[in-house]
Amino acid sequence: MKSISQSTEKSSDRQLSEYPNIYWLWGIAFPLLLTLIDWPFRDMLTSGNILMVYLLGVFLMAIRLGLWPSILASLTSAAAFAFFFAPPIFSFAIADQENLVGLAVMLVVGIVTSNLAENVLYQARIAKHREQRVSSLYRLSKELAEACSEQEIIEIGVRHIHAEFGACNTLLFPDSNGLVRYPDAPPSAISLQAAELGVARWVFNHGQMLDNSTGALPGAATVYIPLIGSTGTVGVLALESVNPRRIFLPEQRQLLDAFIDQIIHALEKSSLAEQAKDATLKMQAESLRNSLLSSISHDLRTPLATIVCAASTLETDTGQLDEDRKRKLAGAISEEAQRMSDLTTKILEMARLEAGEVVLNRQWYAPEEIIGSALRRLDKKLKSRQVNVVMPDGQALIYVDAVLLQQVIVNLLDNADKYSPPGLPIDISVETAPFGLSIAVEDSGLGIPEHLQEKIFDKFFRIYAESAQSGVGLGLSICRAIVEAHGGKIHATNRNIGGAVFQLYLPVLEAAPTIDSEEKG
Amino acid sequence: MKTTGPLLLLIEDDPQLRTLLTTALESQDYSVLAVAGGRDGLAAARNRQPSVLILDLGLPDIDGQDVIRRLRTWSGLPIIVLSARDQESDITQALDNGADDYLTKPFSTAELMSRIKALLRRVAKLPGGGAQECFQVDELKIELTRRRVFVGEREVHLTPIEFRLLCVLARNAGFVVTHRQLLEKVWGAAYIEHSHYLRIYMGQLRHKIETDPARPHYLLTEAGVGYRLNTGEN
Repeated sequence: MKSISQSTEKSSDRQLSEYPNIYWLWGIAFPLLLTLIDWPFRDMLTSGNILMVYLLGVFLMAIRLGLWPSILASLTSAAAFAFFFAPPIFSFAIADQENLVGLAVMLVVGIVTSNLAENVLYQARIAKHREQRVSSLYRLSKELAEACSEQEIIEIGVRHIHAEFGACNTLLFPDSNGLVRYPDAPPSAISLQAAELGVARWVFNHGQMLDNSTGALPGAATVYIPLIGSTGTVGVLALESVNPRRIFLPEQRQLLDAFIDQIIHALEKSSLAEQAKDATLKMQAESLRNSLLSSISHDLRTPLATIVCAASTLETDTGQLDEDRKRKLAGAISEEAQRMSDLTTKILEMARLEAGEVVLNRQWYAPEEIIGSALRRLDKKLKSRQVNVVMPDGQALIYVDAVLLQQVIVNLLDNADKYSPPGLPIDISVETAPFGLSIAVEDSGLGIPEHLQEKIFDKFFRIYAESAQSGVGLGLSICRAIVEAHGGKIHATNRNIGGAVFQLYLPVLEAAPTIDSEEKG
Repeated sequence: MKTTGPLLLLIEDDPQLRTLLTTALESQDYSVLAVAGGRDGLAAARNRQPSVLILDLGLPDIDGQDVIRRLRTWSGLPIIVLSARDQESDITQALDNGADDYLTKPFSTAELMSRIKALLRRVAKLPGGGAQECFQVDELKIELTRRRVFVGEREVHLTPIEFRLLCVLARNAGFVVTHRQLLEKVWGAAYIEHSHYLRIYMGQLRHKIETDPARPHYLLTEAGVGYRLNTGEN
């Protein structure tokens, strides 16, 4: 169907060789068939009527088969009439003057009719093609309007160009150095893979189309068309012209240009949107940096002030201070220095995690052991508190970085201790979850307001901003970064009886290794 | 002030910390020889025969790890490593190279003193590495030659591997033993990469010995580094 409409595209003067043989056969057979039908009625019909029947046949042929087969049909009809109907019968000679005139008229009318019918058909086809082009352009622009990434736009463009022009093609764009390079996306069945970068770069730099017919590059069967946007050339379309007519007919060329315009337009729109998004992100990063600086400077300056003050008092002392006062000052220095050390450790840890510098040193560990070592690190702090640990039976191992996971538990326990009244218990429970393990740390404090349960994991976020007990606001962000580096999740909720619950889920992706059973002896 | 106590060698490149530590150690009646670089330190260790070496890992001339390795080729001098980097891999490497104990900066002088004392005590206890007959801390009693273990009055039955594991820790009681050292000594060199053996057996051992295995009292974990049998001193 496509190939017929395509080949009739060109015009009324199509080549004789383009008609299928069956058309020529019809051109001869149909008048002979009419002859066969007319034959029994030859005595009842006048020769004028018989000519009319032939004319009808020629007309039908013109509508169905086109110009030249119908002209063949007129000639065949004329010959058949002369041979079978015009006396003398069974001879091409025509004795009757009237028949001779009738035959000549029929021939002329037949040929003129054929021409007219062909023209009407041609106009109809043109209209149909125009409509097809408009609708394909519409489909393209509709899909492009819905595309949200540059990658998607390119994919849509390649697909539509292939569907409309039947040509494998690819869209090439320059990298940050301004050199056209191959796309990152894996090639699909319809993308052109033989595009030459050297040619594409020339086309990109000169903004001129290049194809094999220009003879500049012998052997290249590929056409390179620059994509010229509002700010200059943005890329190159390379397409393989299997059927050059489908691309280089004026109407098709116009359509291709319209396609290219649509694609360029969509790309420019998407890059503008991208720039706007970048600007917003930059602004957010800026404000984060500001809050980081103000937070760090406050949190580090306060203990530093104490240290400098106490140390200089000791330094300038000329014997007025008694032993007890001196010890108090020294104690303050040591305590504040410890606080600063904790803060710097946290800030550095967060920076390392953020920079992606942390490589997980994963090994198989028993969760019990990690919780045990976390509890031991907080031994002094948790002395006056009951900590209940609930473990599942059996020894499931998890594949984690023990130091980092221990840090998570320490931070959670530290928070639970900070934000719940002294003396109330803290509960730790470990449960095997589907395809993973979940660890929960629960306290009996005030809990976390629902609208902040997500926000408390943000960097430098503190519910009670300037209170003495709160740290720098990094503990939970570190927890989240570590848990996410393990492919897990962490979230905060409140327990029904009051108090916060921090629950982390760690996926277990492979079965724990087994050990050889020990020979008893 | 002239001190007469055991000689300590301190290799530390930061002048402030070097002065401060010297002062602090001398105030505890130790003689201190402080040098800034690894080469000077190695020479001093050979010439002066110190009792303990306190070594900063980050040195300007040669890497602290190298100092340990070179020293271990000819000396069993006890080494405490000071590390500013809280990278467990550095510490583990130092211990595997032959260091005896470690402290991460910042640390208190009290901590350093107790580590030095423990090392000196261990040296004194081992006249030529003679095997100890019996080890006891709090309720836990290990009879090394008779291969029996008690918690209070109750005898605990251990498998041969569990017992070997406990023995290695008991011989180094109070000091951290790295994962690698434990795997090598208990299971053999072929098992060095099979750390899960260690975790599983350590869990079993804790369940037999500890009152609350999730909050161990005797078998302590040094996360990312190794295990330490508590002597009740730290």
